Amino acid sequence: MLGLTLKEVSLAFREGRISPTELCRKCLNRIKKTQHLNAYITVTDELSLTQAQESERRLQRGVPKGPLDGVPFAVKDNFCTKNVRTTCASRMLKDYVPPFNATVVQKLLDQGAVLMGKTNMDEFAMGAGSTDGAFGPVKNPWSYTEPYRTLAGPEADWVIAGGSSGGSAAAVASLTSYLALGSDTGGSTRNPGALCGVVAFKPTYGLLSRHGLIPLVNSMDVPGILTRSAGDASVVLSVLQGVDVRDSTTVPAPSSHAELPEEFDVRNLCVGIPKEYHALGLSPDTRAQWSRVADLFEAAGARVEQVSLPHTQHSIVCYHVLCHAEVASNMARFDGVEYGHRSSMDSSTEAMYATTRHEGFNDVVRGRVLSGNYFLLKQNYQHYFVKAQKVRRLICDDFRRVFASGVDVLLTPTTLTDAARYGDFTQEDNRTRSAQEDVFTQPANMSGLPAVSVPTALSSRGLPIGLQLMGKALDDHRLLAVAQWMERQVGFPSIGVHDDYRQCSDTSSTVQTSA
Amino acid sequence: EFIRKLWEGLLVQSKPPLTSHFPFPAQIPPDLVDKLERLALVDFRTKQGLECLEKAIRFADQLHVVDTTGIEPMDSVLEDRALYLREDTAVDGGCAEELLKLSRKTVEEYFVVPPGNIPLPKKEERSSMLKHSEL
Amino acid sequence: ASQQLVGVVGLEVHAQINSNTKLFSGSPVRFSAPPNSLVSFFDASLPGTLPMLNRRCVEAAVMTGLALNCTINKKSYFDRKHYFYADLPAGYQITQQRKPIAVDGVLTYSYFGEKKRSQMIRKSVQIKQIQLEQDSGKSLHDDDRSQTLIDLNRAVGLMELVMEPEMKSGEEAAAAIRELQLILQALGTCQGNMSGQLRVDANVSVHRPGEPLGIRTEVKNINSIRYLARAIYEIQRQIDAVQSGRAVQNETRAYDSKSVPMREKEGLQDYFMPEPNLPALIVYEDNASLPTGIDPSQAVVVQKIKDRLPELPGVKRDRLVQTYGILPEHSFTLVNEDGLMEYFETLMKTTQREPRKVIGWVTNELLGHLKQRDMSVSQPISPAHLAELLKLQETGRISSSAAKQVFQEMWRSGGKTAWQIVQEQELGLVHDSAQLHSICQKVVDSHPDEVHAVRNGNKKVLNKLIGLVQKETKGRADPVLVKEILQ
Repeated sequence: MLGLTLKEVSLAFREGRISPTELCRKCLNRIKKTQHLNAYITVTDELSLTQAQESERRLQRGVPKGPLDGVPFAVKDNFCTKNVRTTCASRMLKDYVPPFNATVVQKLLDQGAVLMGKTNMDEFAMGAGSTDGAFGPVKNPWSYTEPYRTLAGPEADWVIAGGSSGGSAAAVASLTSYLALGSDTGGSTRNPGALCGVVAFKPTYGLLSRHGLIPLVNSMDVPGILTRSAGDASVVLSVLQGVDVRDSTTVPAPSSHAELPEEFDVRNLCVGIPKEYHALGLSPDTRAQWSRVADLFEAAGARVEQVSLPHTQHSIVCYHVLCHAEVASNMARFDGVEYGHRSSMDSSTEAMYATTRHEGFNDVVRGRVLSGNYFLLKQNYQHYFVKAQKVRRLICDDFRRVFASGVDVLLTPTTLTDAARYGDFTQEDNRTRSAQEDVFTQPANMSGLPAVSVPTALSSRGLPIGLQLMGKALDDHRLLAVAQWMERQVGFPSIGVHDDYRQCSDTSSTVQTSA
Repeated sequence: EFIRKLWEGLLVQSKPPLTSHFPFPAQIPPDLVDKLERLALVDFRTKQGLECLEKAIRFADQLHVVDTTGIEPMDSVLEDRALYLREDTAVDGGCAEELLKLSRKTVEEYFVVPPGNIPLPKKEERSSMLKHSEL
Repeated sequence: ASQQLVGVVGLEVHAQINSNTKLFSGSPVRFSAPPNSLVSFFDASLPGTLPMLNRRCVEAAVMTGLALNCTINKKSYFDRKHYFYADLPAGYQITQQRKPIAVDGVLTYSYFGEKKRSQMIRKSVQIKQIQLEQDSGKSLHDDDRSQTLIDLNRAVGLMELVMEPEMKSGEEAAAAIRELQLILQALGTCQGNMSGQLRVDANVSVHRPGEPLGIRTEVKNINSIRYLARAIYEIQRQIDAVQSGRAVQNETRAYDSKSVPMREKEGLQDYFMPEPNLPALIVYEDNASLPTGIDPSQAVVVQKIKDRLPELPGVKRDRLVQTYGILPEHSFTLVNEDGLMEYFETLMKTTQREPRKVIGWVTNELLGHLKQRDMSVSQPISPAHLAELLKLQETGRISSSAAKQVFQEMWRSGGKTAWQIVQEQELGLVHDSAQLHSICQKVVDSHPDEVHAVRNGNKKVLNKLIGLVQKETKGRADPVLVKEILQ
């Protein structure tokens, strides 16, 4: 039951095979059992049971709110949840309880979905590993599965979940939630989605409201959707998309059905392979998968061709400058006066601010604030910030040109490799890591285009590999249809229900792999 | 096979990262360090922090190999969208209690801060002040 | 010899927009309310909240820009201006630095010259730009307990008007601000009260004509037009300083009569960044340029606003001159004083007298009394009562000097009619020729020398005799008649 997709569970409710409260309890138990993954910062057990009971009553009366009624979901801890602690994995907000729900959270609750808890992340969404948060790192659930343990040995180090929405990806992958909200600024939803083997979807910028999403980079942030299938993502998209007057950067959603077409004819599809995405550091496994899926498309009759996005190599630097500048600005509000951590220093306002921020922010955040300030200095503004804005336009133009030439979707890797071991990952500092890991994902944020990571296979280390599809602006529905076609072709194994390898006792696992 | 040829071609074309072209570390003079700390009200804390900034600047310097003559800067991908205008009717406010509850320190119905307009102490004093406050 | 040092004054005006809600949130705008009761989640900078632009504020800015002959930018942008201050919860203010909504305007103003008090000097100052921005909260300093209390109610929408530093004196600045106040009040875009709704900062420096501007001193939060004129003091101070060789420091001074420096500027400059949560603000020239299918509530059309502009002070003045034939100086005073124009126009409806005869009463007598007591035009003397007094004067029932006396008494008594006072104080002119005749005879008889002089052609002495008659009659004699009789 726990391994079902959202749609399957919804059907199970309606057919009476399970009730929302039973399922909620099952998920709560599973959360307890997988506590070592550290995927959750706050588990909302009482609240979830109350919501599940309400959902049950509606189902009994035959009036479910929709396909999400009674479905357990998790939310990354940078989305405001009313009366539920929202920390952004930072000491700065460790006791902050918002008085309102983020719009996307509210929409899910309005549909009767059941909130299981707030998931762990990199502090303030800065990072690519979910290793730099105040509540400890998130462990990839696949660290404890048979494939990985068999190959790496039972004493092997755990591997990272990816970031910054690692907790959300781990929650969906470890079967404690059927859907999770993440945020995606440079790949923060797609990266952990790929490393944890789940579908990770970043909608077109402006399609989903950011009201209540504590921002990292306002001009790039998008709420991300993590699910077990593309079909699930589509259902969630149709619930969440739409103009929100509280967010002036939202755009009207193109009218589209919640359901994806059952049959999708790829013969009408043109898939572009950007040559510049063949980067140094791309693992052989990932490259092999990329090749494999391109072949699958071609064999089915799609037109697969090489395209060029010439400014790709500059994208990460451009992102780096714009990101740091916006971060410096967005973090200016954390001063301890109206909310959040406040230091006891009281000699002056300035001293109080400085100590509060010193105590509340980790090194990663502080580093980005300082470099952001550097780029925004009057003497540097034109040279760095405006220059980056110009390069951003070049990158967007690259995409526009490619899509205008008849290409419908682009196929690229999502990450360079499968999940790294924690010890290896932390060899480099956060900023360097992010710069390396975000290489394939952040161009979609720079250009605001929709992108989805689809798990394709396990690597030679037994860990998930995902590939990315990118589409035209507001073409999200078709993008997901292509993703669904792809996932049906590749047959990625489900994680199954497995025991905790840390205890190293019973090694029974029911992981099915494709031949 | 088309795809195999594609991969082989790509292997040849992949470029090394550009950081190797910029061997000189960015130097940040101490008064600029001080200025940044005051502007951001965030401290570097360690020498490592300063090195991090130097690396970040060096990384950003790669931007300058790109030719952007005649290109307009891009504020947002929503350039063609007009800004939504809200009606002038009161729909918010009136939640003083709820807001004040979020703050660690309030006085009656006010937020409260220590006296302002006092510049931060000099660098050495600051470091000891922050060390003292370490949790 | 070196040229005279000349003062240079540039003004920055922050006008609170007269709207129901704030610029970026739906919190109400009210004059006084319990602290932090008009604050929304966005106003408190709760993370995750985003700005929502108020259409009324955009219209107000466009209206004000049009009234000041500005070019309205069809596309304007919002930026963040960063600095840390307790009354700025987000750590930045949303303003329009790169491309504001209106630019390149002109404000024409007049004032009475120093040398010739009755002569009006007409000047103009260029408006560099008008930008929309957030106001900050309010800080209340509690020095006893070493703390500052913060109330975020105030953060309403502002129009910042930047004037080019073309004015030379505090007097010019005061006149310009007064005119601006009248314009904003006529438009209804700002109520113009200087104790909070209209804030003026002045940049003052000195230079020799032709040379670059010297270091600036900023005088902030001037809360009355009279105090603004006293900014001259600042100029003088600087001139003195420069001439005696002392350099002028770049300080920010809170206004008080001693100009004590408020804080040292740390040499930190505010840094800017485009506001990513607000796409470009677009206003449309006219209905023809509207994109098809646009929701009318989303369209601010410049032409429509232009058509709806109310009568501006300059136009009012011209109209008064045209309609009533009064002098421009008089019309200026009428429009300049709150309520005076309305008073005059009401008076003109009830009196038959010529406007030019009436105007003096209003701009001199009435206004004089009002100013002495620092009052505005409330009505100790209603237009109807004044009309009655004027009628008495016109029909010869009382003399001009008596009329002035009656006026004083009307003022003091607050309600008595002119006729009542005339009767009570026996100020009516005496027309009884027999009575006059006998008095004149008495005077003539008692002053033979003067009579002799008059007979010999000395007309001036006649006036002396008239004066004596007047003395007898306590000024109540109709002078024309007296003259006749004596002759």
